Amino acid sequence: MWYRSRKISLVLFALLMLIPFGAVTLAQDVVTIEWWTVSSEEYSEEVQRALVDQFNAEHPNIQVNITVLPESGFTERMTATLGAGSGAPDVAFFWDNNWFPQALDLTAYIEADPDLDPSTYFEGFWNTRSVWQDKIVGLPLGVGANFVMYNKDVFDEMGVAYPSPDWTTEDYIATATTLTDPDKRRWGGDRPRGPFRAIWRNYGAFPYSDDSTTVEGYLNSDASVAAYTWLWDLVASNVTPTPADIEILGTEGTGPIDLFLAGRLAMATLNQGHVLTAVESGVNFGIVPEPQIPGNERYANAWSLTASVWAGTEHPDEAYEWLSYWVGPEGQQFLMQNGHLFPSIPAVLETHPDADKDYVQAFFAVLEQRQVAEWVNAHPCNGTVLRAAVDAWDLVNLGEIGRDDIKATLDSLVEPAQQALDECVARLGA
Amino acid sequence: MLASWRRLSPMARREALEAYLALSPWLLGFTLFTVMPIAVSIFLSFTQWTIIEQPIWIGADNYVRMFTRDPLFWQALKVTGSFVLISLPLKLVLGLALALLLNNRLPGMNFFRTVFYIPAVISGVAVSLMWMWLLQPDTGVVNTLLDAVGVKGPNWFWDKDWALPSVALMSIWKVGGSAIIYLAGLQNIPAQLYEAAEIDGAGKWGRFWRITIPLLTPTIFFQLIIEMIDSFKVFTEAFVITQGGPLKSTYFYMLYFYEEAFRNFNMGYASALALFLTLIILATTIFINYTSKRWVYYESE
Amino acid sequence: MSLNSSAAHPNDSFADIDRQLRRSNLTTALRRLAGNGFLYFIMVVLALIFMIPLLWMFTTSLKTRQEIFVWPPTWLPAVPQWDNYADAFAKYPLARFMLNSAILVMINALGEVISVPLIAFAFARLRFPGKRILFIMMLSTMMIPGQIKLIPLFSLFSRLGLIGTYWPLVLPSFFGNPFFIFLMVQYMRTIPRDLDEAARIDGASTWTILYRIILPLSLPAVTVMLVFTFLWTWNDFISPLIYLSDFNSYPISVGLAFFQGRYGVEWNMFMAATLISIIPVLVLYFFAQRHLIGGISTLGLKG
Repeated sequence: MWYRSRKISLVLFALLMLIPFGAVTLAQDVVTIEWWTVSSEEYSEEVQRALVDQFNAEHPNIQVNITVLPESGFTERMTATLGAGSGAPDVAFFWDNNWFPQALDLTAYIEADPDLDPSTYFEGFWNTRSVWQDKIVGLPLGVGANFVMYNKDVFDEMGVAYPSPDWTTEDYIATATTLTDPDKRRWGGDRPRGPFRAIWRNYGAFPYSDDSTTVEGYLNSDASVAAYTWLWDLVASNVTPTPADIEILGTEGTGPIDLFLAGRLAMATLNQGHVLTAVESGVNFGIVPEPQIPGNERYANAWSLTASVWAGTEHPDEAYEWLSYWVGPEGQQFLMQNGHLFPSIPAVLETHPDADKDYVQAFFAVLEQRQVAEWVNAHPCNGTVLRAAVDAWDLVNLGEIGRDDIKATLDSLVEPAQQALDECVARLGA
Repeated sequence: MLASWRRLSPMARREALEAYLALSPWLLGFTLFTVMPIAVSIFLSFTQWTIIEQPIWIGADNYVRMFTRDPLFWQALKVTGSFVLISLPLKLVLGLALALLLNNRLPGMNFFRTVFYIPAVISGVAVSLMWMWLLQPDTGVVNTLLDAVGVKGPNWFWDKDWALPSVALMSIWKVGGSAIIYLAGLQNIPAQLYEAAEIDGAGKWGRFWRITIPLLTPTIFFQLIIEMIDSFKVFTEAFVITQGGPLKSTYFYMLYFYEEAFRNFNMGYASALALFLTLIILATTIFINYTSKRWVYYESE
Repeated sequence: MSLNSSAAHPNDSFADIDRQLRRSNLTTALRRLAGNGFLYFIMVVLALIFMIPLLWMFTTSLKTRQEIFVWPPTWLPAVPQWDNYADAFAKYPLARFMLNSAILVMINALGEVISVPLIAFAFARLRFPGKRILFIMMLSTMMIPGQIKLIPLFSLFSRLGLIGTYWPLVLPSFFGNPFFIFLMVQYMRTIPRDLDEAARIDGASTWTILYRIILPLSLPAVTVMLVFTFLWTWNDFISPLIYLSDFNSYPISVGLAFFQGRYGVEWNMFMAATLISIIPVLVLYFFAQRHLIGGISTLGLKG
């Protein structure tokens, strides 16, 4: 803090005058590494501080300096810092793909490191979160995934069998319908919170062609129409909370966990972070993957957070040392035991204290599925195109169009989506 | 400027020098914190910049794209323009009404003034959640009350025709903040003017229209400019609650800017967007300033 | 100057009624009282509407996490969870965060008080070439969206080596905030020019006129400025987020954001912390407002 640092600098100045130069050179041997992280349900500020203390004690030549930021502001701060080109941390989360150009390529470091083997990480996450344009831009910390959580008490009360892992999208609507009780304001299930997520993939739908040239025949393909029609049926069945209800209880990132905890939602698409909250609240629940389409390949919306060394660092060796400790087996083990992290290294994850519980096993199974992120990562224009095409989603979600209008609505959105795609491709050269 | 300097008398020169001296902190700050960033933005608006890598010069293409092949730009402009037209007059009138109410000297008025200031104080996520809760179509307080008097309330944020008015309602609720400024302005109206008018037999309305309003025009002018600028830059409500929907009915200009800049990392285009908005606001300000000579009354000029 | 003393006229609530009684007859006073009754009625109804959110936040802060979203919605918690407040304070050093905010507020307020009246006075009272264009330039600072300045400003402060310190958060206020300058200009322009003309004839310098005549008469505007400086510094999230690094130096705005997790918000604790954090803002306003009332409008009464 400046009001202190001024005093401190005066004191330092006085000390410098007194101390012989030898002592100063000795002090320079310790390298300070700036580390930015966030405080979250999985790793609190305290736990991470303890991890740093442990590392600093084991590495007398490196001093890791921790900066804990709120989850909701980390992205803005990193973007501003990386854009300014100076003052970025040596090691930090690089969870936005757009930051990757400023991440240090770790290929040489990892090849030279006998303690870090890429094959020990989940392959899916290594491919989506570490490898980017033939470079290794970081290491994946922790794992997360969406799945359907169901409230066992509600199922028991209504005498309905628990959903099985191979259930279909039609089963989802049927089960939700039986569990809905309007008098109690209780809904059977919730709606997907955006188009072209896992269920769209399960139907085989993509917003545009794999070579990023064409929207026609993709956004409005039969598979896409089928996925939107399923959403339309789900909306029309009145077994889900309305958008108004859902949004009150949490936007995009947080999901309707509070509604689920209050017992007003029998099934909800949530994630492993919400599992922690549910366990804490004593809710009796189970986990199944998102419903499938028989015969189609099955996808999961799963994620891991890339942690990287900034390309502009002055101490790449020491920075890598800390990164590989934090995201390597030691650090992830520490964050799992002292915090609530689900590590991205299967061998470590298997030692999870709750590994024998059914819901944790079900979560592990989801991690083995193909990932929505594969395609999204390879297609940076995904977001831009979806923004142009989100009207179809709104219209179905608000019940503004008939079931037979879906194809025509998607057709009408092909042109603006194509325009957005062309602009984005021209810009990114993708 | 130099020519006019020569024409000044020694006394006037001295006054001008004193003025520049008084202005010097602002001039310095203006150069550091405004001119420099703006110069950078103007440069960036002619480039394609991903923020992370070096900018690439692309000439006026960002501006060409804005006007010729970007439907979202026009949508954002339309939404923001409508918002200004809806919320600005309401904020001006209601703020003044509230200030007049609070200007009464009655026991306990300090308490009421504090209560009306509360909405301006709470910010961010707490307020957004609260509004979603208040305007929830089935169970919210507002629709429950409307139901009690036999009116079927709308779907508010979740209806393409009502989302924009809902955001306007939110911003009007914060009018307690601007009422403070009116309140301060009201203090500058000499009481003897009212007393004289009362003796002349002017009624309450007569005094309001012939004394309060004319003498308050400098404050009204201030509020008009400030609220206009704020309304054009409306962002947080849409960012937290509606995300621009449904059907882009609350897709505000600054939301578009934010998405382009910090979600799509298209800072060159975002800079062009931001500069164009600045130009619109500047033009509006100059227009209002031009008309102000006819309706703003300054005691001192 | 007898004017100065009356500028800080105390808000004597019964003065009006008292004066009415003396000046005219009893019926006028009674009519005034009936009018007041009606006024109170309106005020109470409006106050209730404005209080709903605060009450709701308060009751939410006393519920369990499950209780917040039960059906049918409940106003009051079954068992008030006062522990939520203790838990919120135990989870993060909220008192420390608020102290940091208070420090920032005080420095910013000092900066505004030094710079704003001076700059505003030049625009409001002095004649100089280029005034009109400089005034528009000053206004234009407010028109530029703040987000676009984020990266260039960060770059500037980074080059100055000020990242991680309070300097980027307080330095700009010493150069004058255009909103306050504009506010003060408009206010000063309504002060009759006779006052400073007379002083000038008596041989008062420009600065004497500013600090002995104009500034004391601008007390309501200065109060508005201080109230808003407090509020904006207290609520500013993005600047401290961008510039600060030491957890213990965060202001309350950043501290509150820690209650929003990656996978949800602990609403009860969040509301408890939010409520605690707005109390200083409201208390300051409650005491500051007496200076909003009074000023030149009271001059005539003393004469």
